[in-house]
Amino acid sequence: MKTVYKTALPLVMGMALASAAPVAKAADLEFYFPVGVNAPAVATIEQLTNAWAEQNPQHTVKAVYAGNYEETTTKALTAAQAGSPPQVAVLLAIDIFTLIEEDVIIPITDLATSPEEQAWIDGFYEGFMVDTRFDGKTYSIPFQRSTPVFYYNKDAFRAAGLDPEAPPTTWDEMVEIGKKLTVKDENGNVTQWGTRIPNLGLAGAWLFGGLVVSKGDVLSTDTGTEARFDTEAARASLEFLQRLADEEVMAPGGITWGDTPKAFLEGQAASIWTSTGNLAFVNENVEFDWGVGFLPGGDGPGAPVGGGNFYIFKDTTDEEQAAALEFIKFMTTPENAAIWSMATGYVAPRADAWATPEMQDYAERLPQALVALDQMPHAYREFATFQRARVTQYLVDAIEGTITGETDAASALAEAQEKADDILGEYR
Amino acid sequence: MSQGLNRIALATLAFVLAAVWGLPFLYSIWTAFHPEKYSANFVWNAPLTLSNFTEAWKAAPFALYFLNTVILITTVLVANLILCTLVAYAFVRYRFRWAGILFSFVMVQLLISPEILIVENYLTLSTIGLTDTIIGIALPYLTSAFGIFLLRQTFMTVPKSLDEAAQIEGASAWRVLWTVYVPLARPVYLAYGLVSISFHWNNFLWPLIVTNSPEVRPVTVGLSVFATVESGIEWSLVNAATLMTTAPLIIAFLIFQRQFVANFMRTGIK
Repeated sequence: MKTVYKTALPLVMGMALASAAPVAKAADLEFYFPVGVNAPAVATIEQLTNAWAEQNPQHTVKAVYAGNYEETTTKALTAAQAGSPPQVAVLLAIDIFTLIEEDVIIPITDLATSPEEQAWIDGFYEGFMVDTRFDGKTYSIPFQRSTPVFYYNKDAFRAAGLDPEAPPTTWDEMVEIGKKLTVKDENGNVTQWGTRIPNLGLAGAWLFGGLVVSKGDVLSTDTGTEARFDTEAARASLEFLQRLADEEVMAPGGITWGDTPKAFLEGQAASIWTSTGNLAFVNENVEFDWGVGFLPGGDGPGAPVGGGNFYIFKDTTDEEQAAALEFIKFMTTPENAAIWSMATGYVAPRADAWATPEMQDYAERLPQALVALDQMPHAYREFATFQRARVTQYLVDAIEGTITGETDAASALAEAQEKADDILGEYR
Repeated sequence: MSQGLNRIALATLAFVLAAVWGLPFLYSIWTAFHPEKYSANFVWNAPLTLSNFTEAWKAAPFALYFLNTVILITTVLVANLILCTLVAYAFVRYRFRWAGILFSFVMVQLLISPEILIVENYLTLSTIGLTDTIIGIALPYLTSAFGIFLLRQTFMTVPKSLDEAAQIEGASAWRVLWTVYVPLARPVYLAYGLVSISFHWNNFLWPLIVTNSPEVRPVTVGLSVFATVESGIEWSLVNAATLMTTAPLIIAFLIFQRQFVANFMRTGIK
């Protein structure tokens, strides 16, 4: 397969040069994609890529499942370093700095230059575009993007004498309402916690970014060289997490991401903070009346955005790059973005996708999906810098150290800041 | 009296360790055969179901993946047994220049974790056009420093007199290897085979990176589809898929258990 493609391409190009007659610009694309949601998503990806190949018989595209985000990035970088990169891949939006540093991607705006293409790029929600830009260029196109929302159990709200249509909107309300939602049995053991915010690992750092945004600050800026850990907003956010545990609104100690939806479904938590990617899963398995609201915020609403974008790789031919761009355009048409969003729970990244009849029906069936969209103007990019993996780990360590009581918020964040500055100093 | 106490203490310790080892396994069996609702909810009369297995089976082309894994581990094992035996035999039986240094080169490889070499190995495979093939996955593992070391140590314990007696009878070097050394090292071969098979059965990152087509990918790649971090984990599905992919190994172990244990004991005593 590989060798055929390698010998065929120069041949085709040679023919094009020799004959000067219009030749269909054929390209064989390899498209690496990760699966971050449910297993059936693989089938949806294949359905979409096959549809593109049918519409463009001169091209072929091979969708290559490449593990989770981290593994897909490793695979794409390895292949790129060996000189055989995929033409197009879906990788984390926040990996932009890593990919630029490794010099393996081409800015989308270098390829999409026509006015129509400019309009297409402008059609994506700004909240999803902030982390695609570097140095005045757009490097990626939003595809599977998510943002966390506040899921709550309306039956539990009623049982506690609370208004099921009025979820908490501020941190103080969260504490106040959460205290009422925490239920203990006669032995004093908690059977239902007021809320559940995952605070371990990268997911914990992701949600933490939303807390900081709601306090009017950010953890990182678009230069990729600045980490803002030792700030008033970050300290307040970490103290809020501690306060939830201290006031028995949330279980003390570490809280995992993966088990959070289940804790909600099984009634162990009356509310959870988790990704819109769980909407379909919760909706299918839920046995009580439930609702979704904005994440309660410090000074106002605030949330992080996360997820993966399309990147086009260097070391590929002009024909391949052009075909890759066409492929990305196809995957983000209103209809296809709607199909992908409905299959997975990711937030469709364009307003025109939400205007399709299918999406309108979906929003009617699952009005909870609209909350994430309404929250988008308050959402800001996820933490991203050069050397992201290492720098994020310092933040993770600071959060985990504080919630387990090993250290206090202020000194943990100050230490993380110092270590991050050590690394990022080189890039400034 | 104190011996009796010792035995009780040892037995208790054995039970505790067995429970620590066995509980996650029992849990995965429980969740795999019950609907997701009961995955953290132990009700004795919870309805049993096989739907997790059918759903997991359909999520990836597992039949193909199983075949690929079997081809992969067979290739690796056969090549390992042949190459490691020959190398070990040469180190033990022949005195040649640089033997010590060469052996230390082999030993140094034990210190290098295979992950570090991923990019370099990929580059090599890509140059010779073997990415995205089963032989490409197997190539870096066709010989093994650990296997050479293990067999060399075993061959060294074979009494010199046996070798000499065979030579006096007129046996060639090949014949000595085949009739003296190999039979005496049988338990080691079995132990090594087990370790090698389970390692390659579980290997994930390297096959994922060098392959693109389902036609050549092993079961672990199929299994990883279920590690759905973003949307919360469906334990029943994950566990059904895990049981399904590990079942051949577990069944093989149960069948050959007596032999494995006996062999490990013997190798251990030496």
